[in-house]
Amino acid sequence: MRNDTARWPEPRSSELIELDGLTITPVTLDRQVLVSGTNALSKETLPLVTWPEVESAASYALAVRRDRVLRVNGPAVIDGWDEDAELAISDVSDGYRVFDIRCHDMDALLGYGGEVALSLPSRSVARLWFGFGTFIYRINENVLRIHVVDYQADAMIDALVSALIKS
Amino acid sequence: MSSHRISRSVSERVLNFTFDGRRYVGREGDTIASALLANGVRVMGRSFKYHRPRGPWGAWVDDPNAVMSVRLGTVELPNCPATTTYLEEGMVARSVNAWPSAQFDIKAGLDVFHRWLSAGFYYKTFMWPDWHLFEPMIRRMAGLGAVSDDVLENYVSEQTHDRCAVLVIGAGPAGLVAARKAAEAGEDVALVDDHRLLGGGVYQQKTLEGKTPDVWVAEQTAAITAAGGRILTATTAFGIFDHQLVGLVQQGAFGTAPKLIRMRAGRVVMATGALDRPITFANNDRPGIFSVDAAAEYLARYDVLLGRRIALVSNNTLADGTEARLTTAGATVIRIDPTTGALKARGSKRLKGIWQDDRLHSADTILASGGMTPTVHLWRHAGGKLDWCDNRQVFVPGKGPDFLTAVGAANGEFDIDAAIAKVREPETAIKTSYHMTPLWPQPGSKGRQWIDFQHDVTLKDVELAARENYVSVEHLKRYTTLGMAHDQGKTSNMAGLAAMAAIQDRPIPEIGTTTFRPPFVPVPIETYHGHHRGQNLHPVKRLRLENAHRAAGAALCEYGGWLRPGWYGAGEAKDRIRAEVLQARKAAGIFDGSPLGKIEVMGPDAEDFVNFVYYNTIATMKPGQIRYGFMLTEGGVVYDDGVIARLGPNRFVISCSSSHVDGVRNHLETWRQDGNDPDRIYVQDTTAHWATVTVTGPKARDIVAALLPNEDVSAKAFQHMTFIETEWQGTPIRVARVSFTGDSSFELSLRQSKAEDLWGAVKSLAEPMGAGLMGLEAMLILRAEKGFIVVGKDTDGETMPHDLGFGVPRSKKKAAFLGDRSLHTEKANTKVRNQLVGLQVEDDSGPLPTGAHLTNGDTRPKSQGYVTSSYLSPTLDQPIALAMVQNGAARMGETVTVWHLGETRNATICSPCFFDTDGDRLNA
Repeated sequence: MRNDTARWPEPRSSELIELDGLTITPVTLDRQVLVSGTNALSKETLPLVTWPEVESAASYALAVRRDRVLRVNGPAVIDGWDEDAELAISDVSDGYRVFDIRCHDMDALLGYGGEVALSLPSRSVARLWFGFGTFIYRINENVLRIHVVDYQADAMIDALVSALIKS
Repeated sequence: MSSHRISRSVSERVLNFTFDGRRYVGREGDTIASALLANGVRVMGRSFKYHRPRGPWGAWVDDPNAVMSVRLGTVELPNCPATTTYLEEGMVARSVNAWPSAQFDIKAGLDVFHRWLSAGFYYKTFMWPDWHLFEPMIRRMAGLGAVSDDVLENYVSEQTHDRCAVLVIGAGPAGLVAARKAAEAGEDVALVDDHRLLGGGVYQQKTLEGKTPDVWVAEQTAAITAAGGRILTATTAFGIFDHQLVGLVQQGAFGTAPKLIRMRAGRVVMATGALDRPITFANNDRPGIFSVDAAAEYLARYDVLLGRRIALVSNNTLADGTEARLTTAGATVIRIDPTTGALKARGSKRLKGIWQDDRLHSADTILASGGMTPTVHLWRHAGGKLDWCDNRQVFVPGKGPDFLTAVGAANGEFDIDAAIAKVREPETAIKTSYHMTPLWPQPGSKGRQWIDFQHDVTLKDVELAARENYVSVEHLKRYTTLGMAHDQGKTSNMAGLAAMAAIQDRPIPEIGTTTFRPPFVPVPIETYHGHHRGQNLHPVKRLRLENAHRAAGAALCEYGGWLRPGWYGAGEAKDRIRAEVLQARKAAGIFDGSPLGKIEVMGPDAEDFVNFVYYNTIATMKPGQIRYGFMLTEGGVVYDDGVIARLGPNRFVISCSSSHVDGVRNHLETWRQDGNDPDRIYVQDTTAHWATVTVTGPKARDIVAALLPNEDVSAKAFQHMTFIETEWQGTPIRVARVSFTGDSSFELSLRQSKAEDLWGAVKSLAEPMGAGLMGLEAMLILRAEKGFIVVGKDTDGETMPHDLGFGVPRSKKKAAFLGDRSLHTEKANTKVRNQLVGLQVEDDSGPLPTGAHLTNGDTRPKSQGYVTSSYLSPTLDQPIALAMVQNGAARMGETVTVWHLGETRNATICSPCFFDTDGDRLNA
């Protein structure tokens, strides 16, 4: 097998990235928990985040599928099948890297990565962005928050930076 | 960039440029073609095969002739259409396929041999003795412009996504009115046009609705933008794709990569206009023969009068207006009805006139129009059908998708006033002033008559193709290369299929058209490429422990999309890998197994579900147990292997192959939703959350015991294929006894943020015991020594579980499972199936080549299988190999011939397990 060590840069550190008109800040969350079940959305007690509403609460739940949420900074729960609530629960706190992106022109930024637009509401925050599966939502009018699977986080940031540098 | 019409009589910014080494002057807003025509240059290229002189036929995307290499500063681009490339100061243009110049091309002599160079010439002539003898020479002679050796710095396309309620394609009169109407109705409108200057053919009119064209266009665009509509100029809709996605490419200054816009439109209005089609007559390819529409455009947009004495040959009424405008501009126009006699152009590089039967009309320019052809490419991309209109002799949009409508000339409405009225009031009956007399190629007529100007396809070539039974238009296209020029048949396809219809004495619509495919115009590959370059093209998945591996001197290699340690330390890779294998067998190896899948399956039906998706019986597992098993496709083929752990009555974790995680997750999700109750089964991929550190070898138990002093990890208390859930430094950790090396092994999994701590702790405990880090290469050897397979390497697209020695579930498992039926077919039970075996070699020539074929040793050997994995085993100090061989299980001890690149060796078929065949070390 070919030694490709020199072909790939070292993994990105958790540093802030600043480009013209845009700042990418890594975010550390206390907890991320995947919860699935037919009632996962309807019985969720945390504020439910859809697109493109702004969610500024400390704890909330991302609607990512008709039967799935990602609880963010919610209370500690036991992993596994909850017989009473009929919910599948998995701690994925380290499974997703999270970034806040502050930018002037949010629609333009979103458009570089995929078919995501403020004018296009959705019950789910799950989006294919720059070819990566992500959860995208807003925590205020100028800041996007993005969750991307841990092992693809560097690649997604690289793609974003590359697209922005060109544009 | 200029976006106004040129007036050469008033002051315009002058642009200097050269063509084939000669200096010229153009005006801002010129295309290269219009500037050259204004300078009296007509020969701008040479045809592909015969090197006949070529001048522009059209004024925009329909021109097949004027193709150039253009340099501006340090940027050189090949094959730029001169009719659509806007002139810039300092441009250096060169003709392609001509040397030393288009005006005098040394290869023009090929035309003398045209009788022997007809369609199919290459296929028939260069077959003997071997095509490859001739291929280099032909390839050198063929082709148009050459790509510059210089790398274009910063030639990167911006890509973006957009959406709109209504996308109007084409800003001619009908498109402008359609866009205005939709915008003023409150719809989110985007209007795109490939010109910098909007208006389409409107400038050919003296007035429109009582206003000059400039005023009329300005009024429309002002109204559109005032109503909130967007206008994108220099933007071509090059294709319509699934789900109303329209590909838009927006051109910038020369040398900058175009921008790609993926536009999702709720509704698309196709106002793409129509193209003037050539008339097929003798020598109709001469420079100086233009389309009538092109002459009108050059005059209206670029202030270029193409000739002083013009023969206007047309079968339709649209030429009337052009005749008047040319006359007003100072030309003498001779009107010729092409339906009344055979035509033949007179002259070569410079036209002298046109014969009709025995009468010569003296002229320096010929304008021809065989009727307008609606530009229906996008309609066909979207799956729309075409209807034949006998009155207009054209294909017009027929039944199409609901989101798409055609207006104006694209819909066969060639009269501008009528087209506008129709857009404003679709239900109104429209009276058109357009009339034409059918005029198509006449097979058997005299002279060389061109169908495809660039590719030198003549009417005789079409006749030859028909004689040789290439009567389908698709076959005709491929046999003659008709329509394969860079204009993709915009000028030649209608004439070609009409000629074929005439030859077969069938109506044109029965012949049909070739397939319309994107892109509508040539688009640089870079447009699709965008930022997907270098490491962004196919990025690898990164381990959380990568920094630790780098610090330990890992050689990082790509395995199944992951960047993983292949081996550690400097020096020869094979020596390092050998040392790691020996260390693992002697003490222990520490391995980063984090990419292994951790896909949870939960819910009341979880047990039934995993029992269904696995070949093996899973339902009998107790919580705390692990089982090795296969997932099969519906065809019974091995899709993945791995272990499944039962965490509770309704909870399982599937640890699939590292490179198959995404595929297995989708596989599970598919079957969850198909044939099962998706409300009683949930699949959650937690792979990214967990890091896995594997310790394998005789000292593995001691290392884990030291790491987890409160746990009893003895062989008796902690048995193979079981797991425990406990804590390490306050963090939950799963410890699984699973082995892929044949030695006692432990997989330690905990959350990624603690991975470096665990890695460091295990390393510290292991090193005093003589253990150390191990990369994937060593692991591959360790598992091969035991005969453990890697799915996709030791299996192929036909391998079934019984081919690998796992035949029991097929005959014993009672519950339904995925792939079951396919395991009982005749093909699944034939005796000649490839089966997994080991291979031993007695000679001292080293390991067998992976991929080598196993044969019966005949002089004309036939493959009976192939080597799937092959190594020099450090443990056994001998070559070992795994192979898939026909009926292999019944051929133990048989000597076979191993053939590779013409060389042969002998090998003996044996059991695939070479090491610790009794499994004593597993519980050591």
